[in-house]
Amino acid sequence: MTDIRDLAAPTTPDPDLVAVLTDLFADYRATRATPTEVVDLDRGLWQRLEDLGLTRLTGTESAGGSGGGWVDAAALLGLAAAAAAPVPLAEHDVLGGWLLEAAGLPNDGGLRTVCRPDPSGVALNVTWARDASSVVALWEDRDQWRVADVPIDLVGVEERRNLAGEPSDTVEFDLDDLEAGIVVDHAIGEQFHLRGALARSAQVVGAMERVVDVVVAHVREREQFGRPIGSFQAVQHLVSDIACETALARAATDAAVARAAASDWTDPGMLFAVGVAKSCVGHAASVVVRGSHQALGAIGTTLEHELHTLTRPILARRSEYGSLQDWDETLTALASSAGHDRLWTLITTGRAKTQRAREPL
Amino acid sequence: MARLVPPGARELPALTALRLEVRAFLAEQVAAGAFVPHVDTWLTRWDRDFTRELGRRGWLGMVIPQRYGGQGRTFLERFVVTEELLVVGAPVAAHWIAERQIGPSLLRYGTEEQKQAFLPGISRGEVVFGIGMSEPDSGSDLASVRTRAERVDGGWRLTGTKVWTSGAHEADAFFALARSAPLDPAHRHAGLSQFIVDLRAPGVTIRPIISMGGDHHFNEVHLDGVLIPDDRVLGQVGEGWSQVTSELAHERSGPERVLSTFQLLAAAAQAMDDGRLPTDPGLGRHVARVAALHHMSFAVSTALENAEDADTAAAVVKVLGTTGEGDIADYVDTLTATGWALDEELDTLLHAAILQRPGFTLRGGTNEILRGVIARGLGLR
Repeated sequence: MTDIRDLAAPTTPDPDLVAVLTDLFADYRATRATPTEVVDLDRGLWQRLEDLGLTRLTGTESAGGSGGGWVDAAALLGLAAAAAAPVPLAEHDVLGGWLLEAAGLPNDGGLRTVCRPDPSGVALNVTWARDASSVVALWEDRDQWRVADVPIDLVGVEERRNLAGEPSDTVEFDLDDLEAGIVVDHAIGEQFHLRGALARSAQVVGAMERVVDVVVAHVREREQFGRPIGSFQAVQHLVSDIACETALARAATDAAVARAAASDWTDPGMLFAVGVAKSCVGHAASVVVRGSHQALGAIGTTLEHELHTLTRPILARRSEYGSLQDWDETLTALASSAGHDRLWTLITTGRAKTQRAREPL
Repeated sequence: MARLVPPGARELPALTALRLEVRAFLAEQVAAGAFVPHVDTWLTRWDRDFTRELGRRGWLGMVIPQRYGGQGRTFLERFVVTEELLVVGAPVAAHWIAERQIGPSLLRYGTEEQKQAFLPGISRGEVVFGIGMSEPDSGSDLASVRTRAERVDGGWRLTGTKVWTSGAHEADAFFALARSAPLDPAHRHAGLSQFIVDLRAPGVTIRPIISMGGDHHFNEVHLDGVLIPDDRVLGQVGEGWSQVTSELAHERSGPERVLSTFQLLAAAAQAMDDGRLPTDPGLGRHVARVAALHHMSFAVSTALENAEDADTAAAVVKVLGTTGEGDIADYVDTLTATGWALDEELDTLLHAAILQRPGFTLRGGTNEILRGVIARGLGLR
C-alpha cells in the first residue's frame, strides 16, 4: 500500500477563504426568510456560490474546478451547515463531482446529486434529487464498481423529505443506464462511503458550533429570577457540556480531514479516522441537540426559531453514510482485531499492523 | 463558535521516531517482566529504578535545559514520551509531579541556585518531588489554605496540614502553598507564597491516608513550625497564587487526563477478540473518544509550546478525558458478570480502575470547577 503523505499540506483552511465564506453566510443568514417546515433548494444562494467558484471547490482546475483540497472543502461544508444553507455542496462537489472526475465523465456544471442504487436500481433518501439536472450513480455490479451520470428525466423520482424537511427522494434507475456506467477502481467504490461519512461529519460539526453560539447568546440574554439564566451554575454546566462535546467532535473531524488531505485519501488509516469522526460527531449530536433545546426552553421548539434549522439537520445527517451504531461496530471490529498490544498503534496511526509509515497525524 | 480548543496539529516524523523508540523500549521492559502494566500508574505505581532508567535514557527532564542536566527538548517531545509511558501502564509515579510541574515551575520562578540544586537530580530521576496544595478545609477553594508561613530570622516557619499529598512518604521534597500574609477577604488570592520543603526536615510528620482499595499513595503531611530558609522560597513572596495557576494548563491538558485506564480498554479489546467478552459497539465508542482526545491533547500541547493561552482548552481536555477514562471502567464493568470466569489480568485492571475512578474527576480541579472555567471561556461569567 502506498503511503505518500504531504507533510507540508495545511491542516487549517485558507484564512482568506474562511473570511469570504464567513461574510457570505452572515449575509445569507441576515437576509433569509423565516424558517418553514419544509426546506427547498435556494437557487439564488447556489448561484452566488457558483459565481465564487465554490460549487466545484474540490474539482481539478482542468475539469473546471477550483482545485481546493479537503481542508478547505470541510470548512465550506461546516460554515454552510452553520448557516443552515439549503445547498447540495456535499452531493454536487465532494461526492458527485469527484465521482465524475474519477470516471473520466464530463461535467457540464449542472446541479448533481449522488447515490448508490441497490441491485434493482433503486436508491432511497437521495438528497436534492428533484432539483438535480442529473444523478451520479455509483453502482456495484458483479465485483465491479461503475459510475453513471444519468439525466434526471431518465430516472423515476418519488418525492420525500428527511427529518430536516429537505428533499430526500427515492430514485429509480433503468438498469441499462447503470450498466452503461464507466468502470472505476475498487478504491473509488470503497472511498465513496468514507467521503460521504466525513462530509456529513463536517456539516454536523459546523451546525453544532452554531448551536453553541445560539445557546450562549440566549442564556446571556434571557432573564429569570432577575438575572440571566447563564449565571446559574446548572445552566453553565449544561452549556459547558454542549461546548465540550462539540469541541471533541471538531477535533476528531479535523484530524480525519487532515489525514485525508495529506494523503489524498490513500492513507490506509482513513477507515479508522473517519470512524472516529463519525462516532464522536454522532454521540456529540445527542448531547448537543438535547442540551440546546433544554437551554432554549419552549421558544426553541417553535417554527420561527433558528434552533430547529440546525438541530433537525444535525440528526438527519448523523445517520447518513452509516448509522452511529454501524460506525461504532466498525471501530469495535478494528479495535478488537488490533487487540491488547496494537490498540494504541491503531489509535495513533489508524492501522493495527506494523507499517512502514513513519508518522501518524 | 469561538474556538475553545486550538486547531489540530500534525505530528512530524521526528516526534514519531521518538514515540517508536520509547514504545520499543517499553515493549522490551514488559517482555522482561520489569513491570506489570496497570491502570492509573502515574498516581499509584512508584519504581525509583524504573524512573532512573528513564533518566539514563534521556526521557526525564525533557523540557529542562541541558545546562541544568535536562534534555532541552520541547513540550511536544515530552508529550509523546508521556503518552507512550501511560498507554503501557508503566510505573511512573515517582517522577510524575517533578516532570510535569516542579521542573517547569523551578525554571520559571526558581533562583539560579535552586535550579542548580534540584534540576539535575530531577532530570536523572534521583530527586523525587510531591506537591502540597490541598488541606483538610481547602479542596476546590485553594485560596482558603490555612497553612501559615511566619517570618523568622533568615527564613520562614511553616505550620499547617496538607492532605492528599501523593507519594509524600516516598518523596524527598514538596512545594507547599502557604499563607504568608493574613487573609484579606477583598483580595483572597493575595498573601500566598510557595515554599520548597525538605520532607525529612524536623517538624515534618507524614501519615498515610489509605485509599478505599487498601492502597497507600495519599498522605497527610503535618508541618509543625518547619524552618524554611529564605533561599527555599519559590519565586516572589505573596505571588503564590499566580505562580500556581500559571502552570495549570500544563497540569490539566496532559495525556494522564485521558489514558489512566488505557490498559483496561486494551485488555477489553483483546477479550472481545478472544470471545471472553461479548462484542459490543461501546468499545468502538470509547476507542473513538480516546483517539479524538489524543488529537485534542496534542493540539493543546502545541499551543502551550507556542506560548499561547490554553487555560480553557486544558479544562475541556480534562473534563472530557477524566470523564471518559472513568466511563471506560464502568463500561467494562457492565460487560462482565459475577461468577463468569474472566482472566485474572482483566479482573485486576477492572477492579483497580473502578476503585481509582472517583479520583479521576476530582484531582487537579474538580470537573464542576472546570465546567465553570469553560463557562467563563464562553463568556457566561
